[in-house]
Amino acid sequence: MQKRVLEFANLLRKSGVRVSVAESIDSFLALDEIALDEREVFKDALRSTMVKRSMDVPTYDRLFDLYWSGFYDGLREAFGEATGGLEARGLDVEELLQRLKEFLERLGEGDLDLSELARALLTQDLSQLEQLIRRAGEGADVGRIENMLQVGFFTRRILEQLGAQGASQQLQDLLQRLAGMGLPEEDLGALRELLERLQEALRASVRDFTQRELQKQNFDYIEKFRRETLLEKSFYSLTEEDIRKMREVVTRLAQKIKNILSIRRRRRKKGKFDLHQTLRRNMHHGGVPFELIFKERRKDRPKLVILCDVSSSVANVSRFMLQFMYSLQEAFTKIRAFVFVAELGEVTHVFTDNDINEALDLALEGADVINVYTRSNFGYAFHHFWQNHLNALDKKTTVIIIGDARNNYNDPRAWCLAEIQRKAKNVLWLNPESPGAWGFGDSVMDKYLPYTDVAEEVRNLRQLSRVVDKLVL
Amino acid sequence: MFESIEDVQQQLGAQGYICGTSVATVVFLAARLEKPVLVEGPAGVGKTELAKVTARAAGRPLVRLQCYEGLDEAKALYEWEYSKQLLYTQILKEKFTETMAGAKTLREAADRIGREDNVFFSERFIVPRPLLRAITADEPILLLIDEVDKSDPEFEAFLLEILSDFQVSVPEIGTFEAKHRPLVFLTSNDAREMSDALKRRCLHLYIDFPDADQELRILHTKVPGVDRRLAQDVVELMQGLRKLDLKKAPSISETLDWARALLALNASELDEALVQETLNVILKYEGDIRKAQGELGRLLVRKTRPSEAEGAVAGPPPAAEDPASKPAPAKKGRLH
Repeated sequence: MQKRVLEFANLLRKSGVRVSVAESIDSFLALDEIALDEREVFKDALRSTMVKRSMDVPTYDRLFDLYWSGFYDGLREAFGEATGGLEARGLDVEELLQRLKEFLERLGEGDLDLSELARALLTQDLSQLEQLIRRAGEGADVGRIENMLQVGFFTRRILEQLGAQGASQQLQDLLQRLAGMGLPEEDLGALRELLERLQEALRASVRDFTQRELQKQNFDYIEKFRRETLLEKSFYSLTEEDIRKMREVVTRLAQKIKNILSIRRRRRKKGKFDLHQTLRRNMHHGGVPFELIFKERRKDRPKLVILCDVSSSVANVSRFMLQFMYSLQEAFTKIRAFVFVAELGEVTHVFTDNDINEALDLALEGADVINVYTRSNFGYAFHHFWQNHLNALDKKTTVIIIGDARNNYNDPRAWCLAEIQRKAKNVLWLNPESPGAWGFGDSVMDKYLPYTDVAEEVRNLRQLSRVVDKLVL
Repeated sequence: MFESIEDVQQQLGAQGYICGTSVATVVFLAARLEKPVLVEGPAGVGKTELAKVTARAAGRPLVRLQCYEGLDEAKALYEWEYSKQLLYTQILKEKFTETMAGAKTLREAADRIGREDNVFFSERFIVPRPLLRAITADEPILLLIDEVDKSDPEFEAFLLEILSDFQVSVPEIGTFEAKHRPLVFLTSNDAREMSDALKRRCLHLYIDFPDADQELRILHTKVPGVDRRLAQDVVELMQGLRKLDLKKAPSISETLDWARALLALNASELDEALVQETLNVILKYEGDIRKAQGELGRLLVRKTRPSEAEGAVAGPPPAAEDPASKPAPAKKGRLH
């Protein structure tokens, strides 16, 4: 048992759930306290000792099914079908087995030559069968299975290890002896069929076992692969499904950054000595300053102004950047969001009025403040911002511009950006194109580059989260 | 304390707390293994209540520490009582002079005082805060550290010693070890992820919203006067609301509040107008209310059809069953 629990812990680790040695020891202790025959209790006990993050629970549930309960349930189903088929034809299997038992007793224990497997099959002792199959699986090195093509091979090997053939022979012999002892022909036929079916169920179960083993080997690989690719996948080629999944990833990344944030903030909490508070607090010590009070240093949270190009080429970058920023709202004193294609409009109110996901969709569609069905014109948008919203900027404001700077050969009006930079603390440009393409074709990135403090390529989520990280910390 | 998992369920049930096996299993293990439990889950599913009820069921006094930002060891563990020390120094002044009389050098005088300084750093001058109180209690107690996610990350470090070894170290005195190991419950709303070190020392329990059956049972236990049919409607609507993507999904406490409110309004069944009027009891955000209003028609229609059909068949029995609790069948008009 302990060995299997350890194996299971290993599997969890491989799938990205952190399980320490102390925790697996706890799980042993816990298992000592409970009755092992109740699967739900067993599952809860293992979960409460090994899985400590609620976001890991779905992984745990799937793995638990794969590792513990799934196979047994499959076994039960296969054998249920085997006997159920006979019962459907009006045979009372239970009674048949009862009679068989009586006969066996008459035969006497010593006289019977039945292997463990044959006996387990006859009595349909499923937990014994499960153990036998698992042991045989170990003997057949089924852990080394790598792909679908090997399922047949390993199934055969496990059956060999089990001694399925021998058991089948023994059962045949048994039938003959029963016939010799005068079991009625009718019962004999039914029994023969039942044994056939049981053996068939056994073969199916072993195959099922092998397949599960294969899934188990592949599980962590598949999971990790999925996560990795989402982080690396280019924003240009996202499907609807990807976007939905990435939403969660962004939420999680934001959460992570928030946690780190609270630690870093605290580190420089203590400011100057606070005379007033110290005197006040120490009044009951007769004015003797036992406790010193320090002023809390003001948290220097940046103000943000985000300018998002929402033309289709960069909509996804804008989407995730906005999601990031609004998930991290408390890290900033104020966020103002603007969207543009050619016209520029403020969408801050959209985020205060709506749920974040709706707000994102609305903002990317222009939120009724701009027309998104035109051609990009960065110069026009910046000029508009300079004319109307320059008072949004001060020396504490960071301006983030998201766009590919493909200006459709319009006037870039870089001087507007220069003005913006002069008024703001700094200007950060996120461009989904790689630096090699900046300034080529209708890209005017090279014109804007002198007026940005930082310009980064942001083509996928990993790059984006790196930028966010730098921004807030 | 608890014989088995069923026993936990029964004893908690006797205190009016209905829980599934998963909750009972963890509570049972916590009592057996003497390990702290970290309870997580959405707000209002009864995390704090679980600790309180367990304390009652186990017959242990409850020591509660409410966490908040800025909570430090002086407020959670112990504090030196400066003013008392000061006072004692003043009173004992003469004694000091006596002790120091005959000391030839400054060094000797200082040594003499030094020998006595443990008088001033002894248990006499310590103000025990909840954690130290929990450790030094004479009888076994249950310690509830509520909303531990609201505390600062540094605070977790103080907890570690208590959670793993059930002891508190005071540098000037030494270590206080627990006379009886307390049962410890920590609750968290997941505002911040707790450190791995802390989680490793705890059993983990995640309480989610209950399923319809369980919620119904809770409702009947907590609000005994509520009509069977109404309770069913309320629970179904709540379950439906939770499936919507709301900023804050209504929790069990909201279900109970709402049922009480409906009871006060003497309602016997839910209709759309009634729900519209009382929606602000269950939903706390303007945006959520608007969203729910949009979906209300759908949720109620889906719900009323089967219940009407059911009501036609099974209508009389419930009315016959609890005439005692509600002699006058509530009028269709909700207010009077």
